[in-house]
Amino acid sequence: MILFAKIQNQILSYLRYMKGILLIFTLTLGFCFLGQADRKYTPAGMLSLGGRTTVSLFNDHENEMTGTGVGGQFRLRFSDAVNTDWFFDYITSDILNYAHRTDYHIGWSVLFYPINQLAYFRQEEEFKPKFRPYILAGHCFDYSKIEAKDGFSPLDGPMSAERWSSAVQAGLGTHLELSPRFDISLTGQYMIHLGNHIETDYDFTTGALSFNEHKGASLAGHVLVTLSLNYKIAKLWGFTRR
Amino acid sequence: MGIHQKITGLFLLVSTLIYSQEKPSYFQPSVLRASATIAPTRFYTQQTTVALINGFIEYVLENRISVRGEANIMAPNGKLLYTNSPEKFPRNYTSIYAGFGYHLGKRNWKFDIHAEPGVVIAEMEQQPFLIVPAPYQWSVSPSYMLKGGTSFYFSKYCHFFAEINYSNGWIRKTPFMSVSIAQYGISAGLGFHLLTKKK
Repeated sequence: MILFAKIQNQILSYLRYMKGILLIFTLTLGFCFLGQADRKYTPAGMLSLGGRTTVSLFNDHENEMTGTGVGGQFRLRFSDAVNTDWFFDYITSDILNYAHRTDYHIGWSVLFYPINQLAYFRQEEEFKPKFRPYILAGHCFDYSKIEAKDGFSPLDGPMSAERWSSAVQAGLGTHLELSPRFDISLTGQYMIHLGNHIETDYDFTTGALSFNEHKGASLAGHVLVTLSLNYKIAKLWGFTRR
Repeated sequence: MGIHQKITGLFLLVSTLIYSQEKPSYFQPSVLRASATIAPTRFYTQQTTVALINGFIEYVLENRISVRGEANIMAPNGKLLYTNSPEKFPRNYTSIYAGFGYHLGKRNWKFDIHAEPGVVIAEMEQQPFLIVPAPYQWSVSPSYMLKGGTSFYFSKYCHFFAEINYSNGWIRKTPFMSVSIAQYGISAGLGFHLLTKKK
């Protein structure tokens, strides 16, 4: 009998708890529908696909020269002021003339449009090309491989070192919207690698090259300038006034 | 040539122009166009001119915007025209690009610009002075291509095109200094197009 009363109490408290959740859920849903009724066209839910080319500058690695890269991205917009880039980059660079480096970046960035509310950014009936500046920050995973130019040492075998690491990046950029669906985007950002890093030691007298892998956090980074071409291919969600 | 013949000639010329104005616009959204041609290309840092086989396919998305993919393959024995530094040049060379185009101009005569990121797949000699026969190694290098040109759409299915391009990149997998593949080239010929959607 006592057990039955306990179970009954538990069920009742569970229902009281659920009632609260149901109330919040209903109110939230109500606000969503209320929002829809007043909402004009929003770019939220817009999916773009694009290609990009990247230049890597001011590399922290000793003697590393400017790198060039190619990649692709898709862009998913969450609201009028917030967009996201999901990208892949393949970048190669020289370390003077004794080694070369390959980087693969896969990651994402959040784009925030700080002055999107200005009248300049509103499109009238006839479309006009416009610049749309943004602040960007994000995260990526990267795989790097450094190989000796001649690729092989008679004593040590293949001369290369590799590492996986994580990185964060932040910067500024702007879209140039050339049509309602097409834009060119130029971004400048600084990327800081947070994981293990590889150092190359090269003796210019003897020509001996060695790789040293250092574990732990390191704030080695580089500037990335990216030019991307993007086309809006679908609207995954979002509303228009009826 | 007498004055009557001149007037008749002028009249015929004007009639032709008016006739051409009445032609429908063949360039419009949903047009798919493609072609292949020989593209003489100068790798100016290597002082080498190469015959590349160029093929492209392009789809017109909007009145001014298109998406395009293209490939260049070095013709067999493709260093036909002039080469100055064969030991610093790839034995095999293929480039693949994909990007967007912007089209200006009226009706059937268009001026186009294209920006296309891509990759170069090349086979380079690795030990030119140490081992005989020398080993070769393939590598994939980032690259990009910028292209400008003009196209004249003279029928429902055919057009003429002429383009000049610049592309750049580096082959890093080499025994010594990396090899620049900075180049400019020209391509021209007869292209084919098809309207894939009816209005």
